[in-house]
Amino acid sequence: MKPSAFHSWGRLRPAIAQRETPAWRHEAQANPGPRLAIGLGRSYGDSGLLDGGTMVDTRFLDRLISFAPESGILRAEAGISLDAVLRFAVPRGWFLPTTPGTRQVSLGGAIANDIHGKNHQLVGCFGNHVPRLALLRSDAPQQECRAGDPLHAATIGGLGLTGIITWAELQLRPIRSAWLDVEWIRFHGLSEFLALSQESTTWEHSVAWIDCLSTGKQGTRGIFIRGRWSDHAELDLHRDAKLRIPFDLPGFTLNPLSIRAFNALYYRRFRGPTKHLRQHYAPFFHPLDSVHDWNRIYGKKGFYQYQCVTPTTAGTSPMEEILRLIRNANQGSFLAVLKTFGSLPSPGMLSFPTPGITLALDFPNRGAATLQLFKQLDTIVRDCGGRLYPAKDSRMSADDFQRGYQRLGEFERHLDPAFSSDFWRRMSRPTPQPRHP
Amino acid sequence: MTKPPYRAIVFGATSAIASAILREITRSHSAEFLLVGRNATKLGNLADDLRAYGANCSIHTIDFLDPTTDWSAIIEKQTGHWDLFLIAHGSLCEQEQALTRSIDVAHEIAVNFTSHATIAATCSAALRRQGRGTLAAIGSVAGDRGRQSNFLYGSAKAGLATFMDGLRHRHAREKDIHIVLLKPGMTNSPMTADIPKSPLFSSTAKVGALGWEAIRRATPVAYLPGWWRWIMFAIRATPAALFHRTKL
Ligand SMILES: Cc1cc2nc3c(=O)[nH]c(=O)nc-3n(C[C@H](O)[C@H](O)[C@H](O)COP(=O)(O)OP(=O)(O)OC[C@H]3O[C@@H](n4cnc5c(N)ncnc54)[C@H](O)[C@@H]3O)c2cc1C
Ligand SMILES: NC(=O)c1ccc[n+]([C@@H]2O[C@H](COP(=O)([O-])OP(=O)(O)OC[C@H]3O[C@@H](n4cnc5c(N)ncnc54)[C@H](OP(=O)(O)O)[C@@H]3O)[C@@H](O)[C@H]2O)c1
Repeated sequence: MKPSAFHSWGRLRPAIAQRETPAWRHEAQANPGPRLAIGLGRSYGDSGLLDGGTMVDTRFLDRLISFAPESGILRAEAGISLDAVLRFAVPRGWFLPTTPGTRQVSLGGAIANDIHGKNHQLVGCFGNHVPRLALLRSDAPQQECRAGDPLHAATIGGLGLTGIITWAELQLRPIRSAWLDVEWIRFHGLSEFLALSQESTTWEHSVAWIDCLSTGKQGTRGIFIRGRWSDHAELDLHRDAKLRIPFDLPGFTLNPLSIRAFNALYYRRFRGPTKHLRQHYAPFFHPLDSVHDWNRIYGKKGFYQYQCVTPTTAGTSPMEEILRLIRNANQGSFLAVLKTFGSLPSPGMLSFPTPGITLALDFPNRGAATLQLFKQLDTIVRDCGGRLYPAKDSRMSADDFQRGYQRLGEFERHLDPAFSSDFWRRMSRPTPQPRHP
Repeated sequence: MTKPPYRAIVFGATSAIASAILREITRSHSAEFLLVGRNATKLGNLADDLRAYGANCSIHTIDFLDPTTDWSAIIEKQTGHWDLFLIAHGSLCEQEQALTRSIDVAHEIAVNFTSHATIAATCSAALRRQGRGTLAAIGSVAGDRGRQSNFLYGSAKAGLATFMDGLRHRHAREKDIHIVLLKPGMTNSPMTADIPKSPLFSSTAKVGALGWEAIRRATPVAYLPGWWRWIMFAIRATPAALFHRTKL
């Protein structure tokens, strides 16, 4: 078989690897190494890639195994998309315990990065809702892991490095409506953002959009978005995206001018200080899913996402400083997202969320200038005891990874010897040299 | 009064496209499926999936290539009328290699044509006894014109299309009997796992939804998705002198 090219969502550079596509659970193989499972490829950087190895593509492992309507526990193969889970669950009055900003991720991918959603402050991570999973390793027959088992904790947020998750159980949450009552509130500066977060305890979901290029005395401007499930008792399903970006757009499409224009329009999309509306779950949780392959607007060179968390104990000043640096460098793209993480711990040994403020922001790939800015941001994150999200990363230093993830040593005992990733190879080197794509 | 369940027998049920059609049926109907295939483990996995979606399922394993297989015994195993007979199995071989071995050529035709014809003939008789129902088989756009890259597979699918045409004629006066040929274009399923993907590929979920739509509406010949009709029209209309210069 000829090797294939695999791209991650940031499209910086493809990994060339053998592809295995098991169509049934019993066809999945954990040998020989080096290998890595791949879900729907929505991780931005290189944690989901393995150049020169074998990628086990799980897309056809998309079957349900059982559903218990009394408890809401769904058991399904790991390649099923959250989109398909919703298609099953919503008409029956159930929803995901928490959802990322896109439905196009697999169950296995959601577990392996222990993803977080807009309700993290209330329900924790995805991994808090996975009572059981089955793991196929190169050094053991397939085994079932339950919450509380060390191997379960290593696999939640385990970056695919503990073996192949063949199936998992997910605790769904009941809903009476597919709609949310939503409020948009304008704010200026991080202290207003924090105040809004704190007074939103009765809102299950909250997040903020900020204009990372905005200047002005009052600080960064933004829109605080909060939502809770509505009483409007309609369980209507989302629709498929109609639009698709069919090829890489020219690199100049996104420039500081067009981004400024977008942000200004976005900020002015309603009048007055607040707006109340009722939104279907799809535009509320997954606004970018209305366009297929939107990552291609960044052009051939691809893009980075920088996502960090600064701990509550450090206050707002590190994040203020991060925003100031990004603004001065004039580099960030649109759709910068701020969110506070709650204190419910995830079982995952390498889970990213920790109580504090998280920022996620895309950056068009401008080569050395972009990497230089990230280095400055890293210093701030490191000094305040924060960390970076591997699912979004293609360049963090091994040092910062080891410093940020204190349970790394414990995790390493559960590594599968046949599994690896480009990210993991970078993290294992003593002094990594960031490669320029 | 609750509607009686929608009852279907599916030959080659483990096909990803067939599975997607069956899931689609469960979204709007209470359903009862008899899943026929050659591998009990796979059929069991599929039955679990469809049961979670709410269908009643039983499974049956059989050798599709054994000419002595008694297909009508399977159909009559369960009493009552069937709403749908779906024939879905198929195989796409590495053609260059297969053409060098007669046994491989015969095998491809047996899987993609002979077994379909045998099963379809049996279903046609069952439909006649029932007086109503739908027979659907999965053909392919590959059957529309012989192309150097896949004419072994394509010719079997062309044979199937003609067979289904004939059955449609045969049952033309029985207005409650429908003969449907589904013609998917390139679909992202295990059959094409090793073929590099292009924007022409559709997902099995999409093809499944459109396939169910065609079965429900009793569309005689349905391209999935519909725009393949125009692509294949253009391919058929291309003069040989030009066509033979392409690598299609
Ligand atoms: C538009 C957009 C919005 C996003 N929003 C959020 C968000 O709000 N919160 C958040 O946390 N993340 C978010 N993400 C990131 C995304 O949720 C994660 O990267 C997720 O893990 C992607 O899942 P995937 O199926 O695409 O996995 P991939 O990217 O293919 O793989 C991710 C990791 O999972 C491993 N893996 C996949 N399947 C298996 C398996 N069966 N067994 C073992 N390991 C496996 C891979 O090896 C890899 O390490 C977003 C991404 C996009 C593109
Ligand atoms: N995918 C495409 O691009 C495409 C395009 C046009 C038409 N089609 C047609 O669509 C149908 C379904 O294909 P798919 O895409 O869903 O592929 P698939 O998932 O690979 O399914 C193939 C099916 O054929 C069965 N099969 C293969 N050889 C067999 C044999 N010798 N005896 C009995 N069963 C056999 C398989 O059974 P096991 O599970 O036991 O292996 C499986 O059920 C086929 O008729 C195919 O020709 C596909």
